[in-house]
Amino acid sequence: MRKLVQSFIAVLLIALLLLYVSNRLNEAEGYAGDNTLIVYNWGDYIDPELITMFEKQTGLKVIYQTFDSNEAMMAKIAQGGTTFDVAVPSEYAISKMKEEGLLLPLDHRKLPNLKYIDPRFLNLSFDPNNRYSVPYFWGTVGIVYNREMLGGKKITSWNDLWDKNLRNQILLVDGAREVMGMALNSLHYSLNDTNKAHLEEAKRKLDALTPNVKAIVGDEIKMLIANEEAAIGVVWSGDAAEMIAENDKLDYVVPKEGSNLWFDNMVIPKTAKNIEGAHQFINFMLDPKHAAQNAEYVGYATPNKQALQYLPKEITEDKRFYPDFDKIGHLEVYENLGKRMLAYYNELFLEFKMHRK
Amino acid sequence: MRRLTWGNAYLLVVFSILYTPIIYLLVYSFNSGGTMHHFEGFTLEWYQEVFHDTRLLMIVLNTLIVALFSSLLSTVFGVIGALAIYYVKNWRVKQALLTFNNVLIVSPDVIIGASFLILFTLAGIQLGFVSVLLSHIAFSVPIVVLMVLPKLQEMSPTWVDAARDLGANEWHILTRIVLPFITPGIFAGFFMALTYSLDDFAVTFFVTGNGFSTLSVEIYSRARQGISLSINALSTLLFLLTIVLVAGYYWISRKGSRLYGMWKK
Repeated sequence: MRKLVQSFIAVLLIALLLLYVSNRLNEAEGYAGDNTLIVYNWGDYIDPELITMFEKQTGLKVIYQTFDSNEAMMAKIAQGGTTFDVAVPSEYAISKMKEEGLLLPLDHRKLPNLKYIDPRFLNLSFDPNNRYSVPYFWGTVGIVYNREMLGGKKITSWNDLWDKNLRNQILLVDGAREVMGMALNSLHYSLNDTNKAHLEEAKRKLDALTPNVKAIVGDEIKMLIANEEAAIGVVWSGDAAEMIAENDKLDYVVPKEGSNLWFDNMVIPKTAKNIEGAHQFINFMLDPKHAAQNAEYVGYATPNKQALQYLPKEITEDKRFYPDFDKIGHLEVYENLGKRMLAYYNELFLEFKMHRK
Repeated sequence: MRRLTWGNAYLLVVFSILYTPIIYLLVYSFNSGGTMHHFEGFTLEWYQEVFHDTRLLMIVLNTLIVALFSSLLSTVFGVIGALAIYYVKNWRVKQALLTFNNVLIVSPDVIIGASFLILFTLAGIQLGFVSVLLSHIAFSVPIVVLMVLPKLQEMSPTWVDAARDLGANEWHILTRIVLPFITPGIFAGFFMALTYSLDDFAVTFFVTGNGFSTLSVEIYSRARQGISLSINALSTLLFLLTIVLVAGYYWISRKGSRLYGMWKK
C-alpha cells in the first residue's frame, strides 16, 4: 500500500512539475493572456518569418493552426469549439460559409493596404465588394510532368493524359472539383457544368483514364512527384512551383483546353475573439513587402500589384505561374453549384475512385 | 548455441517485417541529404532542428502532461471500477458490466473521438487541454479495469475471510490485503494507459483545438506536407521513449512479481 501511495505521489509531482514548466514556457513565449491571435491556414502556407515579424510589431502572439481541406476547416469553424481569428478558405468555400453565416464582415477602414490589391482580383462573384474576404493567393490547376521520365515528350493539353503509353504514370490530387473539372475541360465543357449528360460523359472519360492513374493522393503528391515516384501529376500551381524547386527535371503547364483559376482568401470567422488583431493581421499581410516575401516563400502567385516589384523578375515573368490575364480567358473560377449539384460531383468522383482498372 | 528451429525463423521474419519500416525511418533521420530516398551522410541537424523548435517542445510537454495526468486519474477510476465489478454478486450483472467495459476497448477510436467532439460541443466545453484530458481518461479507464480485474480474481477469497476473522474492518481489508495484492496489476494498468495516451492519434485528432496539440497529431499535420526529416528525428525520439516506457513496465512487473513471491512466503 505504501508503495502504491508513494508512486502515486511521485507521478503526481512529476506531472505538476511538467505543468509548471510548460506554464512558465508559455508565459516566456507570451502565449498566456488575451493577446493571442489564432490563425487557421493551409499547411505550410505562410512564411514563418512574417509571423515573427508581426508578433514583434504588434506584441500579439500568433497561434498558427493548419487544415488540409476546405471541408475540414468549415466543419471545425461551424463546430465552434475553437476561437479562430483569421482563416484562409478558397473561393467556393467562402460562398458556402457566407450562406451558413460563418463569417464576420470586414471593416475596410482598418484595411488601408487593400488598395495595393490588383483590381482584377477584387469584387469577384463569390464576394461582391469584398465584404467578407481579401485575396491571399491565386493560381491555377495544371499538369506537372517530369521531362526526363517522359523522354522529352511535351504535355500541353488535358487530352495528352489519355495517351496509352502513360500507363500507371499519373498521380491525381484528391479533389472532386479538380478531377471532374479536368475531365469536363478535356471535353471542352465548362468546369462549372451542371448538365447531367455532360457530367456522365466526363465520368465515363475519367473511367477510361484509370489504367494511367497510379494513385489519387493529398498533399503528399508534392513529395511523390519530386521523388520521381510518377512522371505526371495533376496539381495546383503553387505545389508545382515547390516541386520544381525541389527537382529541376519537372515542368508545369496549364492545359490549353482551359482550367481552373482559384483564389484563397483571408476571412474573419464568426468564432473570432480578437477581431481588432485579425484586421491588423490581414492588413499586415496585404503590405506589398510582406506579400512579396510570402509569395517568394510559398510559391503561389500574389494578387498584390505593388508586391510584384519586390519579387525577382524570373518569378513574375514566369508565364507558368503568372499567366497573362488576356491569354487566360479560358480559365474559370469555381462557382458554388449548390449542395445537390456538389453532392452529384462528389458521387461521380467517388465512383471514379472505385472504378476497377 | 541454441539451434535455429522453424519457429525461431518464423519469429525472426515476422519481427523483421514489423520493425523494418521503423528502422528505415530511424536511419534516415540521420541523413544529411534531406530526402528519404538517398542516404548521403551522417548528420544530427534534424535533431537540432527539433530541439530548437519551442512550439514542438511545448507540444512534447503537453503530450507528457496529458499522458501522466490521464493515466494517473484513469488508474484511480479503473481500480475503483475493477473493485466494483469484482464485488458484484449477480453473475449476469457482472458479465454485462464487463461487456460494457470491453466494448469501449474494441470500438473504433474514430467513433469514440467523433462522439467526444459532439459531446463537448453540446456541453459547451472549449477544445483544448481539458477536452483532450477528459477523453484520454475515458478511453484509458477500461484498459486499467482489464489489467486489474484478473489480479483480483487471482486473489484467494480465504485471505479476506481470514482477515475478517482476525477483526479487520473493510478499510483494513482494502488497504492491507486487496490493494497490496493487486499492485502489479495497478502498475501494469498505469503503464498501459500511459502508452495508450502517448501515442493516441484518432481520438485526440478530434478533440484538439485552440492551439493545443499533442505529438502524434502534430506529426500527422507535419507529415502531410512531406519531406522534412525533422519528422523522422521526432518519430525516432518518440519511439525510443516508448521503448523506455515498455522496459520500465517490464522492470516494474518483474520486480512486482518478485515482491509478491517474497510476500507469499
